[in-house]
Amino acid sequence: MRTVWILALTAVFASGSVVAEKPTLEELMRKIEALEERDRERQERIERLETELRATQAVEEEGEAVDERPAPAPAATGTGPQADPLDPTPARMRARSMGTGEVTSGTAFNPAISVILDGTYAHFSDHIDDPAGFDSGHSHGHGHGGHGISEGFNLREAELTFTGSVDPYFDMMVTAGITANDIELEEAYITTRGLPAGLQAKAGKFLSDVGYINKQHIHDWFFVDQPWMRELMFGDEGLNEVGVQLSWLAPFDTYTRFGLEVLEGTSSGVASYIGDGRHEMVTVLPGEDNQPIRNRWRADKNLRDRDGPRLFTGFVKWAPDLGFDHAIQLGAFGGVSQVWQDETAHSSGRLETWDGDSQFIGADLVYKYGRGGLMGHGNFVLQAEYVYRERDVEYQSRQFTDFSNLALTGPSDDPDRRDQTWKQDAFYLQGVYGFAPRWNAGLRIDGAGLTNRAYNDGTDSVGRRGMRDDLDASWRYTGQVTFAPTEFSRLRGQVSYNDIAGGHDAWQFMLQYNMSLGVHGAHAF
Amino acid sequence: MKRLLLILILMVVAGSAAAEVRVVATVPNMGMLVETVGGDAVHVTVLAPPDRDAHYLEARPSMMAALRRADLVVAVGAELEVGWLPAALQGAHNPGVQVGRQGYFEGAAHTTLIQVGGAADRALGDVHPAGNPHYYFDPLRMAEVAEALAARLSELAPQHADRFHANADEFAEQAREHVERMQARTEGAPGAVFYHKDVDYLAELLGVDILGYIEPLPGIPPTARHLSELVGSLRGSEGVILYADFQPSRGPEFVARELGWSQQQLPNQVDIGADSEAYFELINRWTEALVP
Repeated sequence: MRTVWILALTAVFASGSVVAEKPTLEELMRKIEALEERDRERQERIERLETELRATQAVEEEGEAVDERPAPAPAATGTGPQADPLDPTPARMRARSMGTGEVTSGTAFNPAISVILDGTYAHFSDHIDDPAGFDSGHSHGHGHGGHGISEGFNLREAELTFTGSVDPYFDMMVTAGITANDIELEEAYITTRGLPAGLQAKAGKFLSDVGYINKQHIHDWFFVDQPWMRELMFGDEGLNEVGVQLSWLAPFDTYTRFGLEVLEGTSSGVASYIGDGRHEMVTVLPGEDNQPIRNRWRADKNLRDRDGPRLFTGFVKWAPDLGFDHAIQLGAFGGVSQVWQDETAHSSGRLETWDGDSQFIGADLVYKYGRGGLMGHGNFVLQAEYVYRERDVEYQSRQFTDFSNLALTGPSDDPDRRDQTWKQDAFYLQGVYGFAPRWNAGLRIDGAGLTNRAYNDGTDSVGRRGMRDDLDASWRYTGQVTFAPTEFSRLRGQVSYNDIAGGHDAWQFMLQYNMSLGVHGAHAF
Repeated sequence: MKRLLLILILMVVAGSAAAEVRVVATVPNMGMLVETVGGDAVHVTVLAPPDRDAHYLEARPSMMAALRRADLVVAVGAELEVGWLPAALQGAHNPGVQVGRQGYFEGAAHTTLIQVGGAADRALGDVHPAGNPHYYFDPLRMAEVAEALAARLSELAPQHADRFHANADEFAEQAREHVERMQARTEGAPGAVFYHKDVDYLAELLGVDILGYIEPLPGIPPTARHLSELVGSLRGSEGVILYADFQPSRGPEFVARELGWSQQQLPNQVDIGADSEAYFELINRWTEALVP
């Protein structure tokens, strides 16, 4: 009985599989025939082309070896999407043949890598003061990190950039700035590849698209240092934030792009954030028999807490087509930060705080002329940007009155808690001209504080702090000469004269080299 | 109201039926090929002017605006446009024409390139390990690209497929005739010095020896030392010196004067909007110039 069952089952399975396979086999046969037919056609075509090729080469002399190997995947882009699964052109997908003779797609799938090395030598005639009202004096801590240049030799950074396509839907870029004792993630973001209707989204840590120079890296600058506008209005690293961006390229004949950004809000110039916390100080005083006694002073700062995103920006860029020799782009932008906070702790136990919000608005213009001269000869670039910034803050100057209490300083009838409305602006205008092949020279003028309503942290005649102080504008005049042997290397000399309101005037002399290695991505406009 | 709606719908339908394939070509020579294959069924915008070296352009917003509305981008490829096309594509916000999509066509992927491989070392100048991208100087290779382009255009506008293929076949036929004639013409030509490796395909096709380059390395402007070495090695021999309209004439003029050779500056690209006749005319001018 069991045998019968087994036989029956076997028969059922066997017949089942035969029934299932039969049409598949036929289909396969048909497919194979079709493929063979196609193969024959292609073979014939190849033979025909080869015959033609031999005919054309018949007149060729010997020794002119012709490399007829097919092209390896031509890497068409610097941004790296060389190997795309949706690629309909199989030639692009062909694996690269490695030096060792093995065939692997290893290199083809790796991101494009570039290393840019930037070094400077600087000499200043005097200490370089910050322009009046912009002395970042409210936080003695942050000083000039980042791209600041100090006297002597500086290796500013080795900038390492990886770019590539994640999949058919996203591109990624990661840029790290490596300095002697630090690695800083400068940018790391993804952008979408496939959003419809001219939309593109970006997420991660990135340089905001407001203005023109804000999103450029050192390598893109025409001068050794950045304009005051970027540094003083936004921060040492410009407006570099974690967040998301959505931009739309309108389907017009004229380039018109709109963008919105929702950002965490940490940039010192427009969105610095501290949040609530305790102000702490430790003092050691002599007690009985001069024994040191430690005292801990501790009190609440009373700054607002607010989770991000706190900074919202928007921009529009418009660029009419002026033919092949000229290009112009005009932009307008603005931003609102729900929080702008700062603090200065004095060793006397006094604490100054600023807590409020900030807004900025600006415009940018770029004009480029190029008549196709050899290695930049005859090219001209004119660039100008302006930013106006307002901060509405509550200023408080407080002093420890005992170990756990901060009280306002100032006259008893008018203590130091004041509403301040800072109004400041900055601009730059620069022109760079390619006066010979490989050579260019540029002039730049920086202005900071043309409108300069600031507030004093010293005391006035009746002992009040945080009173309004209208300050003068500061100016900087810069000239540079650059020699660029190829598009991958440049050597630059620069002289600046700083005309600082409320500080020393000073000369700056700088030399710079900037070299790039590896896949050098195309430059955006 | 209903009638208005109907008219509107009809207009949209009619509009889409008559819609041309919007093609953006990177350089005028590729624009010519698109016009030739596509005819009335395509509308072509060219990004680069004919008198510019396509290696050294810059991405401009107007390029992005053109690419934004394109159905197809036709590039030379093999990294010729690597300095600006990727940036323009990135800024175009048009997923359809990104590399790897149906709307991205690179001629270099549809023909065989010469000088493939070689060290990817920039100490050797502005090298193209993917191969020499200037295949547009070879009408036969352009014919191969035309066939592939016809196939791609047919995917985008199947209703015109027959026409595209017929046009490509016609171009190929003309190319063969021209090449045959040109090969007969250049028999016994003494050889040539070029400025850059941009005419190598034509020299190879016509069996003309390349005696040297004005550039010491690709993308590096001529140095006095290189030029005098070049003159020294060629003194006493026969040849011509040819270079493109955007290449500076001082080096070629010097070498021509020293050697007593003829030198000629010729366009590298056809004019924007030119047809295949203008292209063959351009190639023919170079061919004639190879015969002193």
